[in-house]
Amino acid sequence: MNRFLGITLIVLALGLGVAPHYTDCLSQGSVLTLANGKTQPMKCHWTAQAEIAAAIPVAGLGVVLATKRRKANMMNLGVLGIALGIVPIVLATNLIGTCATATHICNTTMKPIILTMGGLISAASLGVVINGWRNRKLLE
Amino acid sequence: MKLLKLAIKNITGSGFRSMAIFLCVMGIAGFLLSTTLIIRGSQYSLTSAIERLGADIIVVPQGAEDKVESALLMGKPTNVWMPQENLAKIAAIPGVQVVSPQIYLGSMYGASCCAVSEMFMVAFDPKTDFTITPWLIKNLGRDLAKGESIGGTYVFVPEGDTGIKLYGYYLTLDGNLEATGTGIDQTMFLTIDTAEEMAKSSITTALEPLIIPQDSISTIMVKVAPGVDVHQVAIQILSDTTGMYPIESPNLFGAFRNQMNGLLWGFFALSIVIWIIAAMMMAVNFSMAANERKREMAVLRAVGASPGFIFRLVLTEAGILAVTGAIIGIAIASTGFFLFRNAIAASLKMPFLFPSFSSFAGLFGAGVGLALVTVALAALIPAIRISKQELAIAMRE
Repeated sequence: MNRFLGITLIVLALGLGVAPHYTDCLSQGSVLTLANGKTQPMKCHWTAQAEIAAAIPVAGLGVVLATKRRKANMMNLGVLGIALGIVPIVLATNLIGTCATATHICNTTMKPIILTMGGLISAASLGVVINGWRNRKLLE
Repeated sequence: MKLLKLAIKNITGSGFRSMAIFLCVMGIAGFLLSTTLIIRGSQYSLTSAIERLGADIIVVPQGAEDKVESALLMGKPTNVWMPQENLAKIAAIPGVQVVSPQIYLGSMYGASCCAVSEMFMVAFDPKTDFTITPWLIKNLGRDLAKGESIGGTYVFVPEGDTGIKLYGYYLTLDGNLEATGTGIDQTMFLTIDTAEEMAKSSITTALEPLIIPQDSISTIMVKVAPGVDVHQVAIQILSDTTGMYPIESPNLFGAFRNQMNGLLWGFFALSIVIWIIAAMMMAVNFSMAANERKREMAVLRAVGASPGFIFRLVLTEAGILAVTGAIIGIAIASTGFFLFRNAIAASLKMPFLFPSFSSFAGLFGAGVGLALVTVALAALIPAIRISKQELAIAMRE
């Protein structure tokens, strides 16, 4: 079960790191034009960049869960995973956020994808916690 | 309680079979909810938009019906004009209680001010208006002053600014209307006085001047007197005037509705087909399960369970799988739909508004009820068969 959840976390981490870059405003050619004529990506692009940083520890956690044989510390890793699943959500909503225009692709597609991925990461990690708790009961 | 405990034990004991039924129910419940949400959400959006407009009849220049509907539905600015004197002609029609002019304008393309690259602006006459003014009185307690505006739900003041700059003229945003899921959500409403002042100042302050033709209006909003037949008034407008076309509110967005109906009927038909196939698959599953569990049920009978108990046990198992599968399927579908609602509406190219909580709760209950009935019907005949089997024959098999 933990191996399956670990692989799930790796896949979700990949999705979290890659998908926002295809659904931010920069991917559609939308940029900010400054007064000096230079262009700058909109803030949703920086959220997409930050999601790579959020995805790396999730992928690491997935690898550990998929390869580790000892079940003793699985519950703790699961709790860590729940917290790591909240990070992408907070990045996309509060810490950096997305564009103000509700109809931009970053709001219609990128943000829901990130919220879904974050939720699934937390849900999968909760599964690890429950599995760890059941194994602990069996051992006792 | 014994029945429930035994049913749960049986479900967990036959993992694969239970999971198959659970996933089937989850999938079908989620799919049915999604299609229902699309249909209801689209209808709710159009109804909200028509209620927002508030008029019984909208009189537009002849030939401009599609342009006006498109502007209201999609929020794409349009330039339609007719002489202001048409207002008096419409007011003179018997049965007309109030008439109010509106002017349709648009921001410059690519203006950095706005929620969209080309924002639709509607200028209204506060002295006669009955569409926006009730909202203003209710929410602001006053009319709009010069330089003030209200916007649809997507209109916002750019970060760092105190107002919205249009054609070099600063407007304050004094409120946002409730969402309708249509182009009204990205429309700005201001008074005709403000629009005229903006047009005057734009000659010197804007890259492109805002042109409002002299003595011209775009549409006329008509309120019919209570008890008067709206359709009769519309017919009279058509026969007594020239160069104008009346659109009755229920017929608003008619062209779009016709296109939408085809798609929605397709969704509905697909849902019915999938539901029938799912019900048949579950019936086959329960039938196979009944065959495999003959001995198990015979043992239960041997230790004292009545045929009625066996019947109730099979139906209870089916009910538990139905309710849990439906609840989880509907929860996943509705969460996903809520998160991706704007992307879905954009890809389907139809207006969409998530239904109100009470409406959604009704859909939720109906979904769970339908799942329960479907699974119960699928399990009914196998339950009857297995409860009526001869004990000795079943034990021998």
